[in-house]
This record gives sequence, C-alpha cells and structure tokens, in this order.
Amino acid sequence: MEGVRVGEIRYHDFRNLAVVELNAGPGVNLIVGPNAQGKTNLLEGLHLLSTGRLLRGSREAQAVRHDQPRAAVEAALQPHGTTVRVNIEPGVRKRALINGLGLPRAADLIGRLPSVSFSSQDLAVVSGEPADRRHLLDTELSQVYPAYLNHFSVYKRALEQRNALLRRAQESHVEDEAFEVWEEQLAHHGAAMRVQRQEWVDGLADLATERHAALGDGEVLSVSYRAADQGELSQSLASNRGHDIHRGSTSVGPHRDDLDIQVAGAEARHFGSQGQQRTAVVAIKLAVLALAERAFGFPPMLLLDDIFSDLDDRRRSHLMDVAFEAGGQVFVTCTEAEQAGAKLLGSAKIFRVKCGRLEEK
Amino acid sequence: MQFARPLADLIAQLERLPGVGPKSAQRLAFHILRTPEDDVRRLAEALRHARESLRLCTECQNVSETATCPICADPTRHRREICVVGEPRDIASIERLNEFKGVYHVLHGLLNPLDGVGPDQIKVRELLVRLEGQVDEVILATNPTIEGDTTALYLAKLIKPVGVKVTRLAHGMPVGGELDYADNATLLSALEYRREM
Ligand SMILES: Nc1ncnc2c1ncn2[C@@H]1O[C@H](COP(=O)(O)OP(=O)(O)OP(=O)(O)O)[C@@H](O)[C@H]1O
Ligand SMILES: [Mg+2]
Ligand SMILES: [Zn+2]
Repeated sequence: MEGVRVGEIRYHDFRNLAVVELNAGPGVNLIVGPNAQGKTNLLEGLHLLSTGRLLRGSREAQAVRHDQPRAAVEAALQPHGTTVRVNIEPGVRKRALINGLGLPRAADLIGRLPSVSFSSQDLAVVSGEPADRRHLLDTELSQVYPAYLNHFSVYKRALEQRNALLRRAQESHVEDEAFEVWEEQLAHHGAAMRVQRQEWVDGLADLATERHAALGDGEVLSVSYRAADQGELSQSLASNRGHDIHRGSTSVGPHRDDLDIQVAGAEARHFGSQGQQRTAVVAIKLAVLALAERAFGFPPMLLLDDIFSDLDDRRRSHLMDVAFEAGGQVFVTCTEAEQAGAKLLGSAKIFRVKCGRLEEK
Repeated sequence: MQFARPLADLIAQLERLPGVGPKSAQRLAFHILRTPEDDVRRLAEALRHARESLRLCTECQNVSETATCPICADPTRHRREICVVGEPRDIASIERLNEFKGVYHVLHGLLNPLDGVGPDQIKVRELLVRLEGQVDEVILATNPTIEGDTTALYLAKLIKPVGVKVTRLAHGMPVGGELDYADNATLLSALEYRREM
C-alpha cells in the first residue's frame, strides 16, 4: 500500500494557533522554538487528525483559542489529495469531515492517517500505573483495528452500566437476568479485546526485545500480557457478582489487565533505574512503530515531541536513526535546531514557531 | 446572577426537560418573555391539552387519544406479529414504509442502569402479558446502540422460553452509501452479518 502523508496543514483558532498554515515536507519536519510557543500544539493538531482525539487528558473546550467560538484543523493528505478536517466547538459534538462530508463519529477518522507519537509522557508506559500501559494497548490497537475500537467502546460503556447496577444492588434487589445481559456484553467484547491484545503484545514483545538489544545495554527486555483473571470471563463475572456488589465495581476483565515489562529479569516499573526505564520505553515505542508499519504496509507518520530533553545522546541518536531510516514522514519538536544533530538538519524542513506563528526556513 | 422569582421558576422548569441545559433554559425563558402573550397562552394550552388528553394505548403502550390506538384498533393489522420499539417516534419511521402489517409495542425507554432504568421502569411486563395471547413473532427493533442491543438481549431471554419466535432487525450498510464514508461501526456490523449470495 502506498504511504499516506500530510501536505498542507491549516490550523484555525486551535490552542494558541490563530491562523497557521504549515506546508509539510514528505520527510523530516523540524519544529523549533522556545518554550510555550506552540510546538506541541502543532503536533497535537496532527494527532487529532490521525486519531480524532486530543492528546491525553485534554478537554475539548481547552483546545479552542481563548475567547474564540470554535477551532479547526485541516490537512490535505497525499498522494490522493483527500482533505481531513476536525471541528471543535464547546457544547457541540466534535466533528470530523472528509472532503467536506461529515463522518458519524470523530473516531471514524482512524486509519486514514496512521501515526505513532512519542513524547516525555510515554515514560509512564514503563514507570506508570497499569492504566498507562492499558492506554498504550487501547490507543495503538484502536488505530490499527477499528474492530478493536468497537469492542473497546462497547466494553467501556457496558462496564459503566454493570457498575451502576452493582451500586443499585447495594440498596435494593436486582434480578439476575438484569446482570446477565450486561455481563454477556462484557464477556463477548472483553474476550475479543483480550485475544487482540494478546496477539498484538506477542508481536510487540519480540520486536521490543530486538530493539532493546540494538540499544546496546547488554540487558534483556521482555514484555508480556498479564490477564487479571483466567477462564471464561462470563463465569468469572457471574461468580464475582456478590463480591463486586460489595465493592461497588467490577473486579475482573480486561480493564484490570496489565503489561509485564522486565529488564534483566526484574519488573522495570519497580526496579528499573531511570536509564533502564528510558531505554525500555524507546525500545517499546520503536517496536510499536514497526508493528504499525507492518499492519499498514507503510511507515506511519511519526510525531516526536520534545524527546531531546529526556534522552541522552546515544538513545536520542539511535531513535532518530531508526525514525529516519523508516522513510516515513516525521515531525520533531525541539528548542534548539542543533539538538537534532547534523544528519537530520541536513535533510529536514525547518519551521520556527514564535507566539503561535510560523516562519519557514 | 439573580433573576426575578417567576423567571427563575420558569428557567428551573425548562431545565428539567431532556436535552435542555442551564444555558438553553435561559435562552428559552427569555424567548418566552419576548413572545406575545397570546402565543404564550396557546403554548401553555397545547402543553396542558396534550398532557391531559393523551394516554397510553392499553395494548401497545403508544401514546394515543383513545384507549386503543388507531393501529391496534385496525382490524387489518396482524396481531400475531409484534414489533418492539424503544420510543413512540420509532413507530413513525417504520409506518412510513407502509410495509409492516403487524402491531407494535413501545417500551418507553431502554435498559440503562446509569440513568436508573431497569426492567421495571420500562414496559416489559406489559409485553409479557401480551405474549400470553396468540403471538407468532416478536421483532426487536430497539436502536442499534449498546443499550438497545442489551435491551433486545434481555427481552429475547424472557421471550424465548415462552416459545415465541424472536427476531432482531439487521443493521448494516446504508443502501446507496459509499464505503469510503461509512462509519466503522456500521461497516463492521455489515461484515459480521453478511449474507450468502
Ligand atoms: N486554548 C488555548 N488558547 C490560547 N492559548 C493556548 C490554549 N491552549 C494552550 N495555549 C497556549 O499555548 C502555549 C503552549 O503551547 P505548546 O504546549 O505547544 O508549547 P511548546 O512550544 O510545545 O512549549 P514547550 O517547549 O514548553 O513544550 C501556552 O502558552 C499556552 O498558554
Ligand atoms: Mg511542548
Ligand atoms: Zn396500540
């Protein structure tokens, strides 16, 4: 399959970007500027077009430039010239459009402009909570397999419904059938999620171990999927019902699963040094990139935000080399162009950002 | 801001309506204040009249001016075929087709524990009572949402043991739709429920 790239990108009242046009190059695009000028915002706009979502933890109203009614990001996709656009307006549902035609949901954008992001927040994949690791699984799988996103969103909603029923059952009698139907939904979609997660992690694990070896610390990285419960999910749900009513939430299912990440035989989250954790994250993200490339048949757009301040020279240049050799479109932010290294600087298209405005160099 | 008491009361009442938030409630209230008194009186009268003269059909639970609604009273409709819908407005969509010759049953909601809606809050018991008569098929036409699907699942569980055939509306690609613009959920369900040719 032919690779998809973005050509011209327009931002309109998106965060601090009033009216910005960025004419992206097909290779490496370097976005340079001091702190708080809009570098991350530029990448977030691309992330939005790719996934239909803002970066983690942001509410939609926050993405609209202060004192403006609405925001939009739009890009022309190459090679076919399709335009993708997302409109954000507080109080109105976020809307995604393709060639001017609205899609039923913003998530339906997924898969048209695949991307992999890497920022300092990703350190949480190794050092953070189980929820951070599930977040990686859910976002990456959703991007590659719309069926996964479907299972995931139904599962999430059914989980909220069962939890509401559990709390109701603390006060008054709830018949078994009322629980059973929600549990059937959870079991069906949850089992499908686990199969897809397991398969994806199996593929990821080998690649991550390889990438980690190439980073050359001489230690072995192992990644595996850890399910919180075994056996048929429908049975676990039914047999835990009493216990769950007592605690008011659902104790079994894929929303309790985790990734087991070990470096040199010890759990990296608890026992890894900062250096070990960073190397593990870089290896895992490179593996994610390779998996996505395999699934799409071309290298996805790579969004590297502010990775220079977090990584030492060796890891940084390794990451840049791999990103560069993948041959896809790359967006990199940094505060000083020199940080990118001579190799990148030679071929990159450079943009300077100041106060939400752009100068191409 | 403090509003005069009658205005505050009006806003509070409007806010209780579904889909009306504090802001729209205020907008509606101010609109009503600027509306000629006669028009407001007509609106109030229409509200009161609708509420007082309409009731639920004793058979299908659809809103009706008469004890039995026109569809249930129509002798040409097949009473052995019941199409179950979530809301009265869903009947209009199916009736527009002039295809379905059976009768309906309106649940007035879908199972939704988050909103405090369980089987007792919707017209499930009334449906089961109807199945004690002669019924050949129950068509579950609740919306293809999670709540709609789960409600259908629940009804199927109750109805199957009674020995009545239960079917569910298929959901798939809109006819004439283009693949490129179809949403993924629709496409996925079309793929899952594909038929042999
Ligand atoms: N809705 C908004 N309206 C106006 N400005 C906003 C909005 N949201 C964020 N900003 C501003 O955008 C700026 C931050 O932009 P961004 O995060 O892209 O900076 P950056 O260039 O990546 O900086 P750093 O190098 O520190 O990461 C801040 O000054 C912030 O106040
Ligand atoms: Mg930044
Ligand atoms: Zn009737």
